[in-house]
Amino acid sequence: MLVKLEKTFPIDAPADVAWSLLQDIQSVAACMPGAQITERVDDRHYQGQVGVRMGPASVTFKGTIEVQSVDATQRQLRLVGKGADTAGTSSASMDLTASIRSTADGKAELTGLSEVTVNGKLVSFGGRLMGQVSDQILTQFGENFAQRVLAQGQGATAQQAAASVAAQPREINALAFLWRVVVGFFKSLFGGKKPRSAG
Amino acid sequence: MATTAEAVEREQKLQGVGCSRRRKEDARFIQGKGTYVDDIKLPGMLFGSIVRSPYAHARIKSINKAKALAVPGVVAVLTADDLKPVNLHWMPTLGGDVQAVLADKKVCFQMQEVAMVLATDRYAAADGVAQVEVEYDELPAIVDPHKSMAPGAPVIREDIADKKEVGHGPRTHPNHIFTWEAGDKAGTDAVFANAPVTVREEILNPRVHPCPMETCGCVASFDKVAGQLTVYLTSQAPHLVRTVVAMLSGIPESKIRLVGGDIGGGFGNKVPVYPGYVVAIVASIVTGVPIKWIESRIENLSTTGFARDYHGIGELAADKDGRIQALRFTALADHGAFNSHVSATKFPAGLFSICTGSYAIPKAYCRVDAVYTNKAPGGVAYRCSLRVTEAVYLIERMIDILAQKLNIDKAEIRRRNFVKAEQFPYTTALGWTLDSGNYRAALDKVLKAVNYEALRKEQAEKRARGELMGIGISTFTEIVGAGPNKACDILGISLFDSCDIRVNPTGSAIARLGTMSQGQGHATTYAQIIATELGLSSDEIQIEEGDTDKAPYGAGTWGSRSTPVGGAAAAVAARKVKAKAQKIAAHLLEVAEGDLEWDVDRFKVKGNPSQAKTMKEIAMAAHTSNIPDGMEKGLDGSEYYDPPNMTYPFGAYLCVVDIDRFTGETKVRRFYALDDCGTRINPMIIEGQIHGGLTEAYAVAMGQQLVFDSGGNILSNSLMDYFVPTAVETPKWETDYTVTPSPHHPIGAKGVAESPHVGGIPCFSNAVVDAFAHLGVTHMDMPHSAFNVWKTIHKLGLDKHA
Repeated sequence: MLVKLEKTFPIDAPADVAWSLLQDIQSVAACMPGAQITERVDDRHYQGQVGVRMGPASVTFKGTIEVQSVDATQRQLRLVGKGADTAGTSSASMDLTASIRSTADGKAELTGLSEVTVNGKLVSFGGRLMGQVSDQILTQFGENFAQRVLAQGQGATAQQAAASVAAQPREINALAFLWRVVVGFFKSLFGGKKPRSAG
Repeated sequence: MATTAEAVEREQKLQGVGCSRRRKEDARFIQGKGTYVDDIKLPGMLFGSIVRSPYAHARIKSINKAKALAVPGVVAVLTADDLKPVNLHWMPTLGGDVQAVLADKKVCFQMQEVAMVLATDRYAAADGVAQVEVEYDELPAIVDPHKSMAPGAPVIREDIADKKEVGHGPRTHPNHIFTWEAGDKAGTDAVFANAPVTVREEILNPRVHPCPMETCGCVASFDKVAGQLTVYLTSQAPHLVRTVVAMLSGIPESKIRLVGGDIGGGFGNKVPVYPGYVVAIVASIVTGVPIKWIESRIENLSTTGFARDYHGIGELAADKDGRIQALRFTALADHGAFNSHVSATKFPAGLFSICTGSYAIPKAYCRVDAVYTNKAPGGVAYRCSLRVTEAVYLIERMIDILAQKLNIDKAEIRRRNFVKAEQFPYTTALGWTLDSGNYRAALDKVLKAVNYEALRKEQAEKRARGELMGIGISTFTEIVGAGPNKACDILGISLFDSCDIRVNPTGSAIARLGTMSQGQGHATTYAQIIATELGLSSDEIQIEEGDTDKAPYGAGTWGSRSTPVGGAAAAVAARKVKAKAQKIAAHLLEVAEGDLEWDVDRFKVKGNPSQAKTMKEIAMAAHTSNIPDGMEKGLDGSEYYDPPNMTYPFGAYLCVVDIDRFTGETKVRRFYALDDCGTRINPMIIEGQIHGGLTEAYAVAMGQQLVFDSGGNILSNSLMDYFVPTAVETPKWETDYTVTPSPHHPIGAKGVAESPHVGGIPCFSNAVVDAFAHLGVTHMDMPHSAFNVWKTIHKLGLDKHA
């Protein structure tokens, strides 16, 4: 199952600050809910894992992340993550293109374009939620990233953001997450922007 | 036929043919006393549970059993490597192909069998399954059959990549299974080239699944001392399975006993031999311990016996009055990863060539191309295992499309094309000899019953108001009762069926048959046939099927063959008993055989009715010395019946739907079903079969589909996603009948259980499409779910509020 998503998040910091964080793959990965880098192979290759719970299916994907391109002029990063769950029942890959753009007010915005392909049990059991779940993962990613950029600054806002980053759960909080998925689902029913699901 | 009141009373007491007597089997079913395979519990029995592939197409890099073996209660984990020493990691299919029992280096569909965990209880087995670690290397999957034979398409079956054929003629691509054609191609093409009118439509019969209430399963028990194998099995064809097991295992067939027991619905899903059975049998042979394997619902929907997946193109050529001159149908058949469609050797595409339907069509040609995809194997199932549904769906949709093109009423165009009553037996352009029929009478009876003209008038008024109302007609001809032994065989074994009757001294009887009831009420119907033939009460005639140690060999119950073949065997066996009884009666009454005549339950002397011997009296005499000199004792008869022809039941259905033009919700307002299955044995059972078949037709037409994503992941393998209608959704059925007996069947009966399914599906589609016919819509693919119907509505802009 293939889910394509595109989302833009405002960042309360200059574009250069955001871009420098975006190039730190370990930090970028840490913004992905439930994800962490377990090993840095070289500049472009990392090993990591993501834990996902979807209804009755709970899986931990282990795999590799490969940085495909870093374009400083466009402030664009493209990475591909591939993995399979440890029990061998599902596989997932994500092609993520993230770019930072300056906005008129001297701040920035992050645009994430992701293509998630999932095969196996996770699709059969949770397929109908896949679009919503991917949407939520990307939304949390964007929010976490924005917080991390903020945390690099000074003052009360930065401290607050840093606290928020520290409190970020290491695994996807199933209940809170599910709630947001459900809310997202109903929003999409009543005219909200729908995640595009192909295949 | 009884003439006097006294004789009529005697006849009624028999509760024979024509009597809506209660079903004998229901006493145990309604009390929960049936014995299904999961009720079998043997001492020391282990439970098997299957590790399945999460991917549609992948190489297996490694299988690690260690963690699974450490789970408390897990006894063993079997993989293809464990079956190799006994050469059972692959098995032959009933379609001339081979199928992996447990995946050998590669998986070709999601949920394919990879390993079996054996444990002391089913929970431990399930825990063990979760701990078997399989490392896969994913390959690109083919989900769309149109892409199977593309140049450079991934080769699904590397094991047979070099084979020039797999059972049914030359292959042109590694993913090609067979091409089968029938009819006069050149002659048909010539008619099309010059025809005043032609119509063409792409028509899909989506992949569906019958989803029987009871899933598949078995208990295999091998007695190492006696060398005997007993298998309790959910099988519609236990004798054929026994033969396959003997061929595979090398155990003498006489030491293999298959027991069918009660079966909770089959619909073709329980015809094939499944990997789970084979692994359970092998495991029992190796360990000497009984092994039980029972599918879960998800496993049943994902892996066993699906139906259809025929991607058809229908074409008709006609004159300006709508008289069909030629038919050209092709279909691309998606058989999944292994060709396990049960197919008679000469008919790899089943009976698809019945596609000329109820119509006199001078020229016809049909062709089926079967291909492999990365989906589960099957194609065998659903209340018509032999592609009749696909064929009838095509012709019944196409004739509507022709009617729309010529602006001819959809009932009228059928009348113009029917094979006429006086034309029977009628041989179709594709070679089938329709035994009997009276199509026009059936249709006219239905049109009158529903007041068709008033319905069309109402429809015109509604259309003027922008409302959507559809009237669907289906005047189908079925082909059931496989089959004539010259033409029909499976694995070389002819499709006869058998009956063995033994009459006891006190005049009760037991009959054993080679068929296998899955809920059709055989114990009642067969007893009624024998009751009428022998003049014994059907209450006192015991029917047994399904235990291969007891019953004579037969091809089982599928394709509505039980009454046409098994029922015929029962009647002929009974007539053999009766012939002997007549000899004994003549002896007892001291007259010549020719001086006797049959009177309901006795032979009486012609002209002297007080001189008579009842069958009960004869039964006793047959076990005494008071029988003709040289005659054997006993009153038995058996028959292995080879049907001279198939039977061709038919019907006329009419469906009225109202469609909400904002939501696409389709309400079936009325469904009127007239069936003609020849002689009616038990009208109540027939009615029950028709209700069931119509409900399954409704399910297929309105909601069922096995859906796959582009990666080959099945998205509809649980009852959360797969539509099974309950009493809430099911429309009310109005049933009716005519009786046109089969001229070649001993009692004139035809099969009936498939008819409502085969004839019902196009009737729903025709009604839904008819609701949009005035807007130029000629076809809408099933299922007609609210969402799918709404898509048509939305495209036409009908959902705009004024």
